[in-house]
Amino acid sequence: MEQACSHAEGLRRLESMLLLRAFEAALLRQPKPGFQLLSRGEEAVAVGICTVLERSDPLLCSGRSIAMALARGVPSGGLLAELIGKDGGPNKGRAGRAHVSMPSIGLYGAHGVVAGNLSVAAGVALAQQQLHTGAVTCCVFGDGACGAGALHETLNIAALWQLPLLLVCDNNGYAVSTAVRQGIAVEQLTDLAAPFGVPAVAIDGTDVDDVVTAMHEAVTAIRAGSGPRFIEMRCTRMGPHSTATREERPSAELERFRDTDPIMRYEQRLRALGWLDDAKLAELQAAVATAITAAEQYAADAPWPDGDEALRDV
Amino acid sequence: MSRLFFREAIARAISEEMQRDPTIILMGQDIAEHGGSYAETRGLFERFGAARVRNTPVAEAVTVGLAAGAAAAGLRPLAFITYVDFLMIGLDPLVNYAAKLKFKSAAQLTAPMVVKATAGAKGQGPTHAQSLDSWLMNVPGITVLAPSTSGDAYGLLKTALRAPGPVVYIDHKRLFPLGGEVPDGETLVPVASAAIRREGRHLTIVAHSYMSLVTIEAAKLLAKEGIEAEVIDLRSVWPVDWDTLEASVRRTGHLLTVEEGQEVCGVGTEIAFVLQERLDGLRVARLGARRMPVSASPVLESYALPDAERVAASARRLLQRARQDDVAVTT
Repeated sequence: MEQACSHAEGLRRLESMLLLRAFEAALLRQPKPGFQLLSRGEEAVAVGICTVLERSDPLLCSGRSIAMALARGVPSGGLLAELIGKDGGPNKGRAGRAHVSMPSIGLYGAHGVVAGNLSVAAGVALAQQQLHTGAVTCCVFGDGACGAGALHETLNIAALWQLPLLLVCDNNGYAVSTAVRQGIAVEQLTDLAAPFGVPAVAIDGTDVDDVVTAMHEAVTAIRAGSGPRFIEMRCTRMGPHSTATREERPSAELERFRDTDPIMRYEQRLRALGWLDDAKLAELQAAVATAITAAEQYAADAPWPDGDEALRDV
Repeated sequence: MSRLFFREAIARAISEEMQRDPTIILMGQDIAEHGGSYAETRGLFERFGAARVRNTPVAEAVTVGLAAGAAAAGLRPLAFITYVDFLMIGLDPLVNYAAKLKFKSAAQLTAPMVVKATAGAKGQGPTHAQSLDSWLMNVPGITVLAPSTSGDAYGLLKTALRAPGPVVYIDHKRLFPLGGEVPDGETLVPVASAAIRREGRHLTIVAHSYMSLVTIEAAKLLAKEGIEAEVIDLRSVWPVDWDTLEASVRRTGHLLTVEEGQEVCGVGTEIAFVLQERLDGLRVARLGARRMPVSASPVLESYALPDAERVAASARRLLQRARQDDVAVTT
């Protein structure tokens, strides 16, 4: 357990995670929430990653992007509008969850094709290297992507060219219904990086402080010019794969997931440190609720996109 | 004008553009010290160095993905795909990422990248000899260019390296050893600019890439029989220069399309359909490869592909059918 952060920073991390969870709940309350991949159980990964990255460090992620986009700083109202397909989001409703981007804050975007962003991220990292920006490109992908050839090719070229690239595997245990052990032959996902000489660590992705520590170490090393790194963040997908997917995991297993809830765990830690009590928690929750209400209003007021305008950007 | 081999015209275009634009980088198999599979990058590694002329492993998916990501982040990559058949392996980043990037980011990100691939049959067999131009023209957001002369290779590649979005520039293997005139000064060939290679009044034959040369040979055969074919080289497969095509078929009233790829959903099929919509009564025919893989056997390869004789035969059939229709209508 990492305790290097300050009282205020600890509360900020908690509030960020509370916002992510409340936001997804608000999304599901929309009359037509759309086809969404939620991050309940994976909030510590998103908040921890975005705590360490600078806004000048390009971030790319998988289609499980909502938590990542919010943590990176996409305004919640705009993100909600984007997710339901309205103009008013960062991509005028065209990208939706699977492709949301906001380059002004370094979010190069989600990509709905599993493993599809890996080689693209290597290209973004190549541009940073070539243009001498000093930035670290971070690509977050799921455990499902570890069975794809794209990871092999990306690790190879990133190692060969010593690209400033941080590969983060958000291992939530399942590719839709297929457990990691049924889909990937290696004992540890970090083993995939070893043949290329890419330093790799596996950490507890339900512990936001651990995520921050691992990220800090990797980003510092990459920025110093030591080439690519790989971090596996083990966490839990507490809900079904998507809003359109049946949940068929046994209820006993789902029960056990409660113990790995990153928000509950962090609340307990902050209480143990004496930084959080019921009154403080209520205060944080009220602030989140206010933000969510404003986001819902923004999304409700946002117009629908114009087809002719969209056609001009092909 | 200078006379340059096709491969030299390519090297000159790239060299000039790299000199002008420091964000251009080259990536591909065997393009550095080796100078390219067709000697079309000879001298570029020595001139521009290892950071800008990068050999890649045999890994087309990551090569195209690198190009797409680097383009989104401020470079202008030129990715070499030795055989266009292997572009299938790299289609995901091209089609699912680069082609959609401007649209899906609401124009905040673009992918100004060029994929330079080599198509066509010259004895390499089923997976090294295909022509997939029509697949690519089907995708919104991709520009597809295909020269048939040294001058157009030079002018189109320079255009590609200044384009705002992804371009697939396609050479044909049979063109590399050929020579041709290239302007001494900087001359760009814009997109959507077809070239009339030969004027004629009886029918319009539209082709592109190496088939333009085959079609010019066919037109010579037809001329001996008194049939004057107008030969148009598309140069830009997408976007299409519809105005030049339409003006020609308005003069001739007959259209034959010729391509080395498949007729089914082919380049010519699309062109014929659109021109028929624009011009009532236009008579059309199409010619492409027979519906079979291309073989490395010289007999089977030439059996599969159009040649000047078959182009001429298709032209004769089109005109004959049209005459029979006219007779049927008048009687």
